[in-house]
Amino acid sequence: MAFFMQQVVNALQRGSFYALIALGYSMVYGVLMLFNFAHGDVFMVGAYIGFFVSSGLLALSAVGFLSLPTGVTLALVLVLTLIISMLLNSVVGMLVERIGYRPLRGAPRASAAITGLMIGIILETSNLALLGAQRRSFPDLIPGETIHVLGVNITPKKIVIVAVSLLLMFGLHLFVRRTKWGMAMRAMAYDYVVVPLMGVSINTIALLTFGLGSALAAAAGILYGVAYPVLDPYMGVLFGWKAFVAAIVGGRGSVLGAGLAGFLLGFIEIFVAAFLPSTMRDLIAFSIILVILTFRPHGFFGEPYSAQLRL
Amino acid sequence: MSADENLRQRLSSVGRRVRQWLRVQFSPVPLLGWFLAALVAVILEMLVGTPLARLLGMSKFPVLFGFALALAQPVYIPSAIVYVLLIYVLPVALVARLSIRLGNLLAGWLMRTSPLLSVVVHLGLLYGTLHLWAGLSDYRVLVVRLMLIAIMLTLSLNVVNGYMGEFSCSHPGFMALGAYAASLFSVLFFVGNDAFGAPLLPIGLGPFLFPLGLILGGAVAALGALLVAIPSFRTRGDYLAIISLAFMFIIKSLFENLEFLGGARGLSGQPDWASLPVVFAWTILCVWTINNFVRSTVGKALNAVRDGELAADAMTVDTRRTKMVAFFFAAFWAGVAGGLFAHVLRYVNPGTFDLKKLAEVLAMVYLGGLNSVVGSIVGAVSYNLLSEALRPLELYKWIIIPLLFIMVMIFRPTGLIAFREFDVVKLLHPREGTPGHAGPGAVEPQAER
Amino acid sequence: MKKRTVWTGLTLLMLLSMTFVGACGPGVDTIKIGINAPLTGDIPKVGEGTKYAAEMWLEDINAAGGLDVGGTTYKVELFIEDNESKGESAVAANTKLITQDEVLVIVGPQASKQAVPAGGKANELETPMVSPWSTNPDTTLDRPWVFRACFLDPFQGPVVANFVQEEFGYTKAAVLYDIASDYPKGLAEFFKMAWEEAQGAGSVVTFESFTTGDTDFSAQLTKIKESGAEFIFTPQYYNEVALIVQQAHELGWTAPIVGSDSWGSAETVELCGEDCYGLFFSTHYAAAGAVGETKAFIDRYNENHGYVPDDVAALTWDTMGIVQRAIQDCGEITGDIKADRKCVRDALAKITDYDGITGKMTFTEEGDPIKCAVLVRISEAGEFEFYEQVCP
Repeated sequence: MAFFMQQVVNALQRGSFYALIALGYSMVYGVLMLFNFAHGDVFMVGAYIGFFVSSGLLALSAVGFLSLPTGVTLALVLVLTLIISMLLNSVVGMLVERIGYRPLRGAPRASAAITGLMIGIILETSNLALLGAQRRSFPDLIPGETIHVLGVNITPKKIVIVAVSLLLMFGLHLFVRRTKWGMAMRAMAYDYVVVPLMGVSINTIALLTFGLGSALAAAAGILYGVAYPVLDPYMGVLFGWKAFVAAIVGGRGSVLGAGLAGFLLGFIEIFVAAFLPSTMRDLIAFSIILVILTFRPHGFFGEPYSAQLRL
Repeated sequence: MSADENLRQRLSSVGRRVRQWLRVQFSPVPLLGWFLAALVAVILEMLVGTPLARLLGMSKFPVLFGFALALAQPVYIPSAIVYVLLIYVLPVALVARLSIRLGNLLAGWLMRTSPLLSVVVHLGLLYGTLHLWAGLSDYRVLVVRLMLIAIMLTLSLNVVNGYMGEFSCSHPGFMALGAYAASLFSVLFFVGNDAFGAPLLPIGLGPFLFPLGLILGGAVAALGALLVAIPSFRTRGDYLAIISLAFMFIIKSLFENLEFLGGARGLSGQPDWASLPVVFAWTILCVWTINNFVRSTVGKALNAVRDGELAADAMTVDTRRTKMVAFFFAAFWAGVAGGLFAHVLRYVNPGTFDLKKLAEVLAMVYLGGLNSVVGSIVGAVSYNLLSEALRPLELYKWIIIPLLFIMVMIFRPTGLIAFREFDVVKLLHPREGTPGHAGPGAVEPQAER
Repeated sequence: MKKRTVWTGLTLLMLLSMTFVGACGPGVDTIKIGINAPLTGDIPKVGEGTKYAAEMWLEDINAAGGLDVGGTTYKVELFIEDNESKGESAVAANTKLITQDEVLVIVGPQASKQAVPAGGKANELETPMVSPWSTNPDTTLDRPWVFRACFLDPFQGPVVANFVQEEFGYTKAAVLYDIASDYPKGLAEFFKMAWEEAQGAGSVVTFESFTTGDTDFSAQLTKIKESGAEFIFTPQYYNEVALIVQQAHELGWTAPIVGSDSWGSAETVELCGEDCYGLFFSTHYAAAGAVGETKAFIDRYNENHGYVPDDVAALTWDTMGIVQRAIQDCGEITGDIKADRKCVRDALAKITDYDGITGKMTFTEEGDPIKCAVLVRISEAGEFEFYEQVCP
């Protein structure tokens, strides 16, 4: 039982990252019907921004800029890092939209997707060119001893990670459901031929969507850095593609669905590795996804949509 | 500002005049003329390439039109340009221009005698050119072989992503299936290793039975396509993207777990059967069948499905069957390409068929242009040449290639040559009496240059 | 009519210019050495180490005024090609180096994924190639022209297994490795074989894997913890080592974690921190407490590039040294590239007891070196301390 619960905790942590990144994919896909293949690398950029911001803040506090108790300083650094990096990274996301996607508004959707893929490669390579090949060690912003609860080992990191990502997901859900901007996004998702005629600018909404998604990716990047403190330029590739799978499995345009599917992917990966031979993890995990899609071809929360919706 | 504008206008008018002049001079050149000219240029390089290069201060003839040399040592830029002008550009232009009458006469005669003969002569010339050009250096042979394989891959993916209008990510998976099946065939039957024991057949038979191995590879890949097609063609939408991506991960994981195929260590020992003529022949076969396929009724039905599945259904198109056939077809050729790839490298491992390969194939398809056979050829050739030519830039190569790609996409969102039919017969016809008509025939020599 | 004369005139001019072309062969005054390294792709750090080590070697040669072969001094030129960590690109790079740049000998590629196909090409085109880092037997198997500078998995696996048995007296082992990467996988299997041979079948209680690019090992580690294993053997690269060790500790694992030569990078400690202190791994050389040549190399590299070199850099350095020795043993460079390559190959095969910074090397008939391994402990100061040496 402890073994099982431990795996649940592991899966929750793994799933939160997939979920946060999948949200970015899902929003772009839901609102603009586009695949944003640069998203995995935007996540990477977010993690690096977080690395530099937090290192900077820690250096500031080390020279006595903030004279607070260590715990408070770290918490403050974490919060500030999250806020600053999310803002900066949303600018990165908007740039990606402006450079790679807006010029291709009328083009086949896949052309824009491949352009995104290329932007991703540029981001990876420029990182390598600018920062060199050595990997970066993310500062430990959430230290703390392992807590044993009923034979399950939990670190404060895990609690914070899962809590923050759930909070962000909930926040996004509220934003999309309750605000005017959110309504505009939903309207655009519903019909982007007529809605722009009603005075909603597709360019503004596209920027907003990319910005929001990238802010979440930055948050994911920072939490990721805290949990797995090894940053390298290619860290977003595999992660991004897997989150992409989660986003589509969640269903088109469903924040909740993408979040859940992210957690589901985390659970599938962890549990396959835990209870079946881990050598076959990918084989089995993706076969499960295949089976799910066979029986729920529109994902969990997606609506079947007509061919007319396609650009 | 006005001076600037003035200059720009003058420049553009000069540009227009030059283009006009080029069109008048070269549009009557038939494809045969271009091929002849290319052959002459290559023979010229064979004869005087090295001495000329020495004269220009280079130690050897520049292997890929001087790109690699010029980028590695900028001192050589002028020599490389002079070399390319003297060996390729001028002779091609001269021979093409001077042989207009002869070329058109010959092309006309060939077409009248037998279109088949005309095709054979053209292909012969093309192969001859390629063979002589590549024959000068092993590096060229390898580049050309990989390029031809890339053409097959790009073309087959274009059937799904372009003609069918879906987004498939499974091509590395199909390639892997083909590569492993063909490798297994040749290693098991003709080479033998620790896992399989002695070969079952004498190796002398190998080169003759090799096509069987490749077809087997293609067939296995097509079987694998079933796994993707059944769940994804139940509904319309982007689920193919996900299912095919999942399929790719599954295949990679599968081969990592198959110990008898070497697992992650990979399988080596494939004989060197994928020589230039073999790869060339398969590529021509691939281009020919795919071109016929997309121009056939099924191909047209495929386009109808892409443009409106409901409408196509209403017009009695069996949409599901059409999609399935196209998908198997694409997978088959990806498998064959994979088989050839394994025999060119003479080694295959699961790590080769990863997300990087996927990005590469997708880039080639969308660079070249959707829904276009010529586009795919241009895409694959230019991507591969660029990738080799920019080698000396090391890291910056992977900033420049994506940037170029993005520029192309911004100015031509559907790719370089999209939605163009590839009409072989029209290409082979003589050009007299059609001045000002720049047919797609101009594309081939350009791609070579 | 006028047009035609223009065209004909141009043709004549061109033909005329061709007749002036004469042949003149340049004399041999440089020795060209090709480096085939993964500067981009999955393992850019490996490429960087290769490049830096090779360039340092060139610095030495240039400082000495050139390479002295049989009384004549030659300039040395390095041709560094990027193989993008792709097999086909490595083959293309090798072919280009051999046929176009006409290098005498090739150093690299590093990873087996590139070294196996590239070695095939080098063998076919009869050019000596030395891979510093590739451990796959296929790289040199039946290839007289291909050599390597590192020891193979069948040697290192038992070394670690024996060490753990003697040092700790454990009987139950757990292995965690990357199934998609051939170096960890090969080593994991040879370790398992050696361990089970000594302790009986089933003594490797869990044999867990993950895939390249994974960063979360919690499921596998939880399983290992549950299995009752007494230690973990994980032949992973340093970036993964940091994550594996930290996550194991977070899950309450306190027993030793043992590694292989791929741990031997300064980054291991930098990324892993205190979590890695006190752990053991087998490798080619120990950076801390190194003496003589080894120490000189480490200090110089550290000074130039700001970090302690990893095993790739050290092995590349040795490979360059071996290549240099082979060229010098060859006695003379005739300028006939075919003959020179053959001469260098024969000299390589004859090298005995080359005293490199990663140990003494003698090539076997297969082109694999016979050399010793050292076991290293990561000290409380985060340095690699020499613990003991094992020779075949």
